This record gives sequence, structure tokens and C-alpha cells, in this order.
Amino acid sequence: MNIIEVEDLWKKFKIPHERKNTVLDTIASTLSLFGGRRSTFEEFWALKNVTFDVAKGGSIGIIGENGSGKTTLLRIIARVMRPDQGRISVNGRIAPMLELGLGFHPELTVKENVVVFGTIMGLKREKLRKQIESIVEFAELKRFEDAPLNTLSSGMQMRLAFSVAVETDAEIILVDEALAVGDMEFQRKCLDRFKEFKKQGRTIVLVSHDMNLVTEFCDNALFLSRGEIVASGNTREVIKEYIRRVESQSVSLLTSDQATIA
Amino acid sequence: MVYMSTKLREGSMFEHRDVIWILVKKDFKIRYRHSALGFIWSLLNPLSTMTILTVVFSLLLKSGIQNFPIFLLTALLPWRFFSIGTMQATGSIAANPSLVKKIYLPRYVLVLTNNLASFISFLMEFIALLPIMMALGMTLTPHIILLPAVMIIEFLMVLGISLGLAALSVFYRDFYQIWEIVLQLGFFLSPIFYDPNIIPERYRFYYSLNPVTRIIESTREILLYNALPTAFDLATPLLIAVLLLAVGYTIFRRLEPRFAEET
Repeated sequence: MNIIEVEDLWKKFKIPHERKNTVLDTIASTLSLFGGRRSTFEEFWALKNVTFDVAKGGSIGIIGENGSGKTTLLRIIARVMRPDQGRISVNGRIAPMLELGLGFHPELTVKENVVVFGTIMGLKREKLRKQIESIVEFAELKRFEDAPLNTLSSGMQMRLAFSVAVETDAEIILVDEALAVGDMEFQRKCLDRFKEFKKQGRTIVLVSHDMNLVTEFCDNALFLSRGEIVASGNTREVIKEYIRRVESQSVSLLTSDQATIA
Repeated sequence: MVYMSTKLREGSMFEHRDVIWILVKKDFKIRYRHSALGFIWSLLNPLSTMTILTVVFSLLLKSGIQNFPIFLLTALLPWRFFSIGTMQATGSIAANPSLVKKIYLPRYVLVLTNNLASFISFLMEFIALLPIMMALGMTLTPHIILLPAVMIIEFLMVLGISLGLAALSVFYRDFYQIWEIVLQLGFFLSPIFYDPNIIPERYRFYYSLNPVTRIIESTREILLYNALPTAFDLATPLLIAVLLLAVGYTIFRRLEPRFAEET
């Protein structure tokens, strides 16, 4: 059995033409509705008929232009969003690294934030207690461990968050974009950690615009365009197809992107 | 071929106990770390309200209620928990978009932890003000063992209302302001600074539908009148609490699938 199975997945968004965010707005527009004006919205399929599998221990890169549905797909796998149609099964624990430093609070200390974010990421309490020192050390923030988070630069905060996130023991790792944070030396450490994950046989789903990264980490790739799979399979082949398309259709892709937004 | 997505397992509250506990602790720390006086503010607020109301009603208007400062405190503390608890929790989903969009936590956890932090504050306020109430002439009786039951019933009410408000305010951002007005009204519609017996008989039924009224009356019975609340006294608020919880939870569950798209 594959660790991730996605079958015929569809996801629809409604884009209202005028956004009603308050009770007052709603009452006002409901009243004017009796005068014949209706609030309208546009339906927009963010994912259309998406089907793919990831084998246990495999790694897949999801590529595509902005607005192609990559992040939506990742969110559905992470259980954050529900599909409108289709089937998805995930047979393992997920570490969603869609955003680093979830739950970080600027007024709490470095160590306190490690515990908050670590717990949200699903690390066990005993494990966190045992490893808090090594996490802070990996982030190279030993000196600041009892300082409030807001005294750290944003780069340092990302380093801290990353150091916590990679402590996960989940079988499936979902990554959106930022795989490498901080300065060059720290980026190397990050990438090394991910290579370790691969060696340990964990499954990686990576959304990225960095083709070198995708080539380096992913056995397979998925090329999404406007919610549909255009190409899938061997990473090099898919990237070649992606580049070919971008080069030949850059003008038309740009205009169709604008059409989707408008 | 159309499939519905497989129902995803959410995990029990017990499975999420670590997250719940850590988030309560975080919430609690943030509430009090901000200011030098910290928790002291939590005590000064009800004490100053008590003083003002005592001066106005007891000394100026001569309301004639016995033990007026205690009469006030036994209502102000549960009222504070009710109003602060529900208000703070109203934004607990909308104000945490990344915890909704970027990771899967059962969303009720955000509301529950917020309520729990308010509840702990409430208990601490109570314990801290107990000596003051006794200095003002309150006597402790064994009846106080029933107080936790009243407090827990109030917690369930707050949780039910919070779930509904938190879910609705994801879609309508002015629910906070609306609730603020309702609470302002509620302060006067609850027997905080007056005897509920002044309410005319024919309005009494509607008046007693206010969930806070029952809580305040039971609290006063235990602490002020040294009377044991009857089973009926506790069953009514419990019923209201369960009802509020059922309604709040239903609204929450209905709207939850769209949280990630709306926050």
C-alpha cells in the first residue's frame, strides 16, 4: 500500500464579487436583495481531477506556476482543507512544515517557544524536555535561550523554528517552499537534515520553485498547472517539461493567470 | 465517478492533551507577562468595581442590601469569568490563521485552551480574594464544597457560547462588537448590584433565562446565605449549560470545514 494515495481530487473555491465580512454588510445586502440585487460569486476550481501516489520512503516534488494549486494540494494532504470530491488516504503520521514557528509568541522566551512549537508539531513532551538543549544548540542560539523571542532577528527565529521542526519523528514530511533558512552555513545543515530523513526512509512531499532542490531531493515530480496535472513521473523529465512549457507559453500563461485572478 | 473524501480521524481530547496543556500555559503566561503588576490587575479590577458600586448603591442610593461588598464580589467574579472568557475566545479562531491553515489541530482546541486559561484566572482571583471577602464578614461553611460544581457548570456555559461565537466570527468579524454590546446589556440584566426579587413577577421567567443569573444566585447561596443549593438550583443551570454547549458545538462543527478558507 502506498503511504499517500490521492484519487480524483477536486477542490473548489468561491470567490465572492463583493466580500461580506460583517453582520452589518450581510444585513445591508440582504435588504437590497429584495430590490433585486443578488450577491454574486465566482467558482474557481483550484484542483481538478488530481490523482497520484507516493510510495513509502519516496519523495515527490510538486512544481508549477503561482496559483497552480500546489499549496492547496499540500493543505489537503495535511488535512487542513477538505476536498470537494475525491479520495485521499494518508497512512502515516504527518509533519506539516507549511510554516515554521507556528504558535511562536514574541514575548515568550526562546526555550518556551521551542516547547510551544514543538508540541504543536506533535513532539512528545518527554522528548522535548530531553532534547531542548540540543535543539537550541542546533539553532546556534544557546546564548539567547532565556531571552524573549522578540530580541532575536527574524533569521534567528527561523533557525530556531527549523531546528524544532526537524526533530519530528513523523513518517511523512510536507514542506512548502522554505526548506533552507538562515545563512549559507545553516542552510547546509538544513539540507543535511533532509538528506538524513531520506536515508531513514521517510516520505517527503516538497513544494518548491527551486528546481535544483527538487532535482536533488525528489525521485518523482508532479507538474500542476491551473489545478491540473500536466506531467508527472521522473523528476528530470517533469522539470524538462515544465521549463519547456514556461519558455514556450510564458506570455499566454501570464495572461491566463490574470484571467484566473480577475 | 464521485467519491466523498474519507472521514478523517480527529483524535480524542486525551490524545491532544499535551497541546491543550501547552497552549493553556502559553495563553496564561502571555496574559500576565505583559505588565509589571501582572496578576494583581486581575484583582484590582473587581475590587475597584466593587468599591465604586458600593459607594454608589450602598452609601448614596441606600439600596439596603446586607453585606453589600460581598454581595457584589460573589457576582462580579463569576460575571468577569463569563464576560472575559467569552470575549477572549471569540477571536481565538480568527486571530490564529496560521494555526488553522498551516497545521491540523482539532480547531476546538483553540477555543477550549482559551477558555481554560480564563477559567484558571477566575479560580486564582477567587482564591486570592477569599481572605478579603472573609475580612468583610463572610463566613466559610462546608457548603463551599458545592462551589466547584457551580464553577464547572459556568465553564460549560462559557465553552458553549465561545464555540458558537468563535466560529461565527470567522465569517462575520463584527461578532466581537456585537457580543460586547450584549455583555454590556447582560451586566444590567444579571443580579449583580441589585436583588433579583425587584424584578416584577411576570418578567421573572424571561429574566431567569439569563444563564449567569442562575450561577450568581447559586454562588451567593453558598457563600453569602450559607444555604445549600437544591438539586433543582443546580439542575437548571446545568441544563442551560448542556443546551448552550450543544448549540455552540453544532454551529462550530457546521462552519469548521470552511475555517481554513476564511481565516
